[in-house]
Amino acid sequence: MLKAEFINPFIGAAYDIIKRVTEIEATKGELSLANSPVRGDEVNVVIGVTGDLKGQIIFCLSEATALVFASRMLMNLTTETFNELAKSAICEMANMILGRAVTSLSERGYFCTLTPPALLLGKNVVVSTQVLKFLVIPLETKYGPITINAALQEKQA
Amino acid sequence: MQTIRVGQLVPGMILAQDVLIPRTGVTLLPMNTVLTMEMIRRINSFSIDEVYIKVPERSDKEKNEEILAPVMAETHEKSVAAVERVITNFRKDSFTQEAIDGLVGDLLEQVEMDADLLLNLTHMKSYDNYLFSHAVNVSIISILIGEQLGYEKEELNQLGVAALLHDIGMLKISVETWRKTGTLTPTEYQEVRKHPEYGAELLAGNMSSEIQAVAAQHHERYDGSGYPRGLKGSQINYKARIVALADVYEACISDRPYRERLTPQEAIKLIVANQEGFDPQILKVFLLTMAIYPIGTFVRLNTGEIGKVIRVSKNQPFRPILSLYFDRQGELLGQPIRLDLSEDVNHLLYIEETLSASEHKKLSERVATAFSNRPWG
Repeated sequence: MLKAEFINPFIGAAYDIIKRVTEIEATKGELSLANSPVRGDEVNVVIGVTGDLKGQIIFCLSEATALVFASRMLMNLTTETFNELAKSAICEMANMILGRAVTSLSERGYFCTLTPPALLLGKNVVVSTQVLKFLVIPLETKYGPITINAALQEKQA
Repeated sequence: MQTIRVGQLVPGMILAQDVLIPRTGVTLLPMNTVLTMEMIRRINSFSIDEVYIKVPERSDKEKNEEILAPVMAETHEKSVAAVERVITNFRKDSFTQEAIDGLVGDLLEQVEMDADLLLNLTHMKSYDNYLFSHAVNVSIISILIGEQLGYEKEELNQLGVAALLHDIGMLKISVETWRKTGTLTPTEYQEVRKHPEYGAELLAGNMSSEIQAVAAQHHERYDGSGYPRGLKGSQINYKARIVALADVYEACISDRPYRERLTPQEAIKLIVANQEGFDPQILKVFLLTMAIYPIGTFVRLNTGEIGKVIRVSKNQPFRPILSLYFDRQGELLGQPIRLDLSEDVNHLLYIEETLSASEHKKLSERVATAFSNRPWG
């Protein structure tokens, strides 16, 4: 299982980045553990992690929430549909959160690298992760929740 | 191959030799490794001072830019000088349509060759001939918007000419007034507000009614809050609506006697905050062209390096092409490094923040002095 020192960089990075790029406050809900596979929401961003930590992180949110976030990032150029521009905004946000988390982890001596984000759409998306148990980190915001599903484990020495 | 201090390593550089862990002879990273930020940190953690990297091969694109850039910079300078001549001749009534058409024709050619490069040049300003460089820059920006709106060559030419002459009415305002550093007195202010009418008068008989309309209406606002007549929406000539937007943007990113320039991003934020004053369709097209990090914006990467946006990618507004100038410690790099954030290998890099307006000014000057032979700026 993942130690707190691994999880906190992800949560901290999520607060910081979301606040900075959308000016939206996020609060952490109750963490829980679940078994693979991860059941997605309408908008899902999957990022692979390798190095001292291995596995995947999957961000899940509803399309309505994603649209609000994307609009905020795009200087309030409201996108009515979840078009290419909105998609690139959400991927960028996920990428930045993980990029920041990876920097925090490296400062604590854990070196990881990430794959480019993959966007999966559709409420029926199911992601089978290599790591069989994953941590569910719900983030509450005024515009709906974002769930960070962290299916990670430490590299076996 | 060149030696580089570890502090100046940028992700993407390629090792020319194995990097060894000091005092052990163990290879930390082999030759030909493409460095990632994580690797750079590791090298740092072993207190290694210098490594050998391969001198990056410039892509064909970069080589073309190197050739094109000085040519375009020269043309920009010449255009500004030409505008000065044309407008001065205008005053003396020895004005020719051909001279203006020729000028705009040149600008159109340049836009076709490399619009981004041209847009970069609009950030190089000379305060002395503000009015003339402003005319050229507003013309360039208007043409770019017109292109995105689907204008054909003929229309673009009309638009370009109209934009070039939009402020010609300023010729009738005394030089002391428009160069004043303090606030204008009510009388002076009223006088300046007459330049659209003066412009239309000057152009009457010489230029098409559309060009006159742009001069007369470029301060009208879509919601009726403009001047001199308070025209609203479709009452305003379409090209005037385009030039109105280009005019405001260009003015925002320029130093004026009464205020310092805004960063491209701040200019866009200001425009968006006042969006009722502009045609919504034109505004949308403009914003999409300018993107989130407009050309000319100075940014800091998450890894600490500082650079400037030189090209935007319409599909990936968050992943423009940068020219890096400063390393993580704020030291000037030996030479600017081109970084394309949309390349997969760079996906771990992102723009951490946009620098403030005063930092923009300071850094532009430092960069201009250091790399004066590179008109990317």
